[in-house]
Amino acid sequence: MTANFTGGFVTCRAAAAIAVVLLGGCLFPARAQVSSKERIKAFAKLPDWSGIWELDAFVGQSDGQQFSEEGQRKLKEYAAELRPSFTPEYQAKYDEILKKIEAAVAADPDHPPATHQPLCEAPPFPATSSPGMFEWRITPEETTFISTVGAVRHIYTDGRSHPPKDELWPTLMGDSIGHWEGDTLVVDTIGTRKQLYSGQLSGFFYPMSDQLHFTERMRRVSRDVMEIDYTVEDPIALTKPIHAVIRHALVTDFNRMIEETDCDQNERDPIVNGRFTTVTH
Amino acid sequence: MLKAFRTLLVTVAIATPGLAIAHHSRAMFDQTKQITLVGTVKEFQWTNPHCWIQVVVPDPQNPQAAPVEWGIEMGAPVELMRKGWKPVSLNAGDKVSIVINPLRDGQHGGLVVAVTGPDGKIIGHPAPLEKPATAGGSSETSK
Repeated sequence: MTANFTGGFVTCRAAAAIAVVLLGGCLFPARAQVSSKERIKAFAKLPDWSGIWELDAFVGQSDGQQFSEEGQRKLKEYAAELRPSFTPEYQAKYDEILKKIEAAVAADPDHPPATHQPLCEAPPFPATSSPGMFEWRITPEETTFISTVGAVRHIYTDGRSHPPKDELWPTLMGDSIGHWEGDTLVVDTIGTRKQLYSGQLSGFFYPMSDQLHFTERMRRVSRDVMEIDYTVEDPIALTKPIHAVIRHALVTDFNRMIEETDCDQNERDPIVNGRFTTVTH
Repeated sequence: MLKAFRTLLVTVAIATPGLAIAHHSRAMFDQTKQITLVGTVKEFQWTNPHCWIQVVVPDPQNPQAAPVEWGIEMGAPVELMRKGWKPVSLNAGDKVSIVINPLRDGQHGGLVVAVTGPDGKIIGHPAPLEKPATAGGSSETSK
């Protein structure tokens, strides 16, 4: 009886399993067939962003990563475009940070103050393209940015919305959704860290609020140039949006993505007492 | 002068909002000075996050003095490879001439500007030189 019951149970389970397999077999191949045709069409509509890219200001860097004159000119140009116009509250916060940096530099000009860890973690958005080289992976459902310094951005283009507020918290890359307007990818990003990174010395950053919001319009304007049209909005921290057009250049002298931030290998610029130092031996 | 220098550093700090963030600041190097070191490679470290050349430099003014080891910082391997470097570009025992921006704090270290290998040819992609590298010990130029 027990055996029969067990056998019957097994039979029932087997039947259920077979049903699931059949159902799955009916559903998934059918979906895959439809999906595959539709996806091939969807892929065919996508632009070609293949290749390795870098921020155009980095073109021509020398062995010590010194910028070329043209690179310096471009960085200054971008800096001017990206300079925030703060509300009084955030201007005061910015002034305070600036004062601390000035005091730290004055106290010890030889060892720059460190306000971020050395780049052993991925640079946060929107500094994801600096430094390093990067690639784009485009599918109908998602465009992915992958850099040699470990930055990975997932830009969902499957029609989803941002998560509800109670499922968002500040992250390195934030939450990005996008859609295609012809060959232009329009990206909306929220949920980043409440700051805009600013620069070369010690990762100095601008304070921002949790209403920080980015809109990017990305397009490959020629074989060698990608253009990213940024708009940065923050009604709490900014009196007006920041707007800038940043360009990425196709890397033509190299064709391999090689990771460059495993700092444990040989970190010789450690932070000691809040300052960058150098180990010469 | 010091005030101008501080202003310069802060200007560099805020020069590239939202975009450029480096592995670390380069403000510890005096990029207004170039020193030429002529010596022998002790070790070429092809490593992340930066490559380094350890070079032993005798003092031509005082041959009896013990040679001094310098640590020269470079870019990351992937960036150097783009510029023509390879993990075997330098080997222990190679005679080299290296132009650097020295560390501000006086330690025997610096940021690479240009490396001339044992065959007398420049390796990779040097930064602009203030004047051609000269043989023999170390020499200094300022902007």
